[in-house]
Amino acid sequence: MNLDYPLAHLMGGVILMCAFSMLSQRRLAAMITLYQVQALTLSAAAFWQGFAQGAGDLYLTGLITLVIKGILLPMGMRQIVQRFNMVRAVETAVPVGFSMILGVGLIGIAVLVVLPTTVSAVSLTREDLAISLSVVLLGLLVMTLRRNAIAQVIGFLSTENGLVLAATGMPGMPFVAELSVALLVLLAFLVIGVFLFRIREHFDTLDLVGIEEIERRGR
Amino acid sequence: MRLPARRLVCYGLVVGNSFALMFGLPGQGMHLRLDALSVLFLCILVPQIVASALAERRGSIAFWVFAGAMVLTLLAGDAFTLIFGFELMSAASWLLVLRGDARPATLYAGMAMFSAACLIPAVFLPASSLAFMLVLLGAGAKAGLAPLHFWLPRAHPAPPAGVSALMSGGMVKVSLYILIRYGFIEFGAAAQPWWGSVLIVAGAASVLIGALRAMLEVELKTMLACSTVEHVGLIAVGLGIALRAKAMGNLDLASLALQGALLCAVAHGLFKPMLFLGAGAVKKATGTTSLDWLGGLMRGMPRLGLLMLAGAAGMAALPLGPGFAPEFLLLHAVIKAAATGGILARIGFTALLAGLGLSAALALGAVVRLIGIGFLGRPRSLHAAAAGDANRATLAGMGFLAALCVPVALLPGVVLGMMEPVIQLLAPNSAPAPLSYAPLSLFLLLAAAAAAAFFGLRRFAVRGTREVPAWTCGFGSPPAWLPFGDPLTQPSATGFAEPVRRAIARGVLAPQGVDPAEAYLLFPLSQVSLRLTRVAEHIRRSTIRQRLAFVFVALVMFLLALGLSEGG
Repeated sequence: MNLDYPLAHLMGGVILMCAFSMLSQRRLAAMITLYQVQALTLSAAAFWQGFAQGAGDLYLTGLITLVIKGILLPMGMRQIVQRFNMVRAVETAVPVGFSMILGVGLIGIAVLVVLPTTVSAVSLTREDLAISLSVVLLGLLVMTLRRNAIAQVIGFLSTENGLVLAATGMPGMPFVAELSVALLVLLAFLVIGVFLFRIREHFDTLDLVGIEEIERRGR
Repeated sequence: MRLPARRLVCYGLVVGNSFALMFGLPGQGMHLRLDALSVLFLCILVPQIVASALAERRGSIAFWVFAGAMVLTLLAGDAFTLIFGFELMSAASWLLVLRGDARPATLYAGMAMFSAACLIPAVFLPASSLAFMLVLLGAGAKAGLAPLHFWLPRAHPAPPAGVSALMSGGMVKVSLYILIRYGFIEFGAAAQPWWGSVLIVAGAASVLIGALRAMLEVELKTMLACSTVEHVGLIAVGLGIALRAKAMGNLDLASLALQGALLCAVAHGLFKPMLFLGAGAVKKATGTTSLDWLGGLMRGMPRLGLLMLAGAAGMAALPLGPGFAPEFLLLHAVIKAAATGGILARIGFTALLAGLGLSAALALGAVVRLIGIGFLGRPRSLHAAAAGDANRATLAGMGFLAALCVPVALLPGVVLGMMEPVIQLLAPNSAPAPLSYAPLSLFLLLAAAAAAAFFGLRRFAVRGTREVPAWTCGFGSPPAWLPFGDPLTQPSATGFAEPVRRAIARGVLAPQGVDPAEAYLLFPLSQVSLRLTRVAEHIRRSTIRQRLAFVFVALVMFLLALGLSEGG
């Protein structure tokens, strides 16, 4: 029995599950853990695709994903959370149920868009694309709904995971693109980290309410 | 044989060839051209410029730029020159309006920009209905055609009187010139009957609203500006009938309507600047143009009063005045047009006839009010009582225009004969019916009858005299403590107009007597603009998360549209 499709779909499903559960988590520690699980699954998926497609550079993608996103970034974020004493911080911006309803809607839209537009493509790519588009949209939704800066960063990283998932599922995607995306994410994380420290210095919180207040008053 | 260069230039201009200027667009230049239509409108324009310059504004650069730009527009031989002259005219007149008052100047600038935005694409488009509609919007807005006339009663009275005169008498004509040139000549081949119908409807609305507001306005100059709207409407009705008839192949009707419209333009170009100059003189003498503060001016400024009376006779289209023949021709054209077309057109033209009759009566009422309240009766203020006659320059300017009014009033047939090349240019191969109105003989008959009555009375009247108490037109002699009488014992301008306001204005104008275009077009537009500004400001002030949400929602909408269109 050919395991190519079922396994790829399973791992895609796990990644989507992680992205979706991020919406329901109000604590940063849980979100970071979910992100870590997502990244590890993504690296496994990349390895599996490398094996299935017989493409060497996908192993490299998996390795980069494993090291940077699966280990380094979660560690860094946990440290930030520790240092800023936000272990017990709870996000209160938008009700969880409402954001989950929005998430379900977004997944529906992703399926609605991808499945009809790619009728001509092979089935593996189609469903993988639907899943990765859902992950991208859910990441954006997290960025939009959350007010905490770290939570927004996690949403951004999750979006990027969705992109990489699409790239691994697509045969013939050049490795350079994935590498550059990975580097970009690392750089973005560094920049955002610096910003977080600055925000923290100024407002004693990572909640963006402070910045919004300044914007409102300053203009 | 070689002609001198100067004569060659004149030759080229007169024959209708275009004459290239040394500057303008690169590779294209600017061209001047003179044909019958331009000559006619120059003949309308030049006397006004002379009169305004005589009366005042001799040293103002903006005034001469304004006048020169109008002449340039009329002489333009290509679209670029036309637009250049037109926009120069707008800019210069904006400066002049700004000298009077800032608020109407802003409204005027907005209107000028709107008309530029319509005209500039229109003149470069190929002949089509869209292009004509754009010309109609652009030139019509500048000419004060309903429903885009609301700026005119505000902007025209604002500048000094000489400029008001030129704006009301000249600038409006230049806009109509563009309308005629594009409707009849440039786009003439593609003309549709409904173009004319649109023009007729807009003109009829202007006539009605203009006449009604002229009857109701208390400020003298505002009232004159409203009357300008009315006359522009009359000209537009004539042009519309001509355009419609020409497109339907009825050239005789077209030429009749054209005669009415063009003669109306000529007459209006004479008496309206005269009235505006007179209003300026009144303002100089009394410090106000509000009819409620005037009265009895005929005693203090008899010569000005006489000239105003002459102009007012033209404005009211009284027989033997300059305004009668064009209105006579127009009504004939409407009656003739009512006999053509389908049942709807017949009903429409009959209603138009009624509307024109109503507005003629309203114009007469407005003139009676202007002369009766402003120049007759007792003064309503000390200033009005102490007013001295206008200075010689103003009287000379007005007198010049009044002298030109005489041939238009008494010999309209001759003027129409001189207009024949224009009619042939606009409606080729037409044979207009001869004018069945001979004011000169009528005038001579009346003069003879009056002279006979005078001499008869001198000869046969009872010679003896007896003393009777003077009849003071219904009101008693002024009380001793008020040397020129209690103003409240006379009807005011507002009170004089009150019956009309109750009977007609309630149905036609918006509540509180506001112009319907202002209430139903300008005000909602300003509301929309305000609301859009608020939305834009709200978006500009949005937080980071809201901006993210905007982008995100846009993305989702796009995906949704894509999915639905592909799936469906």
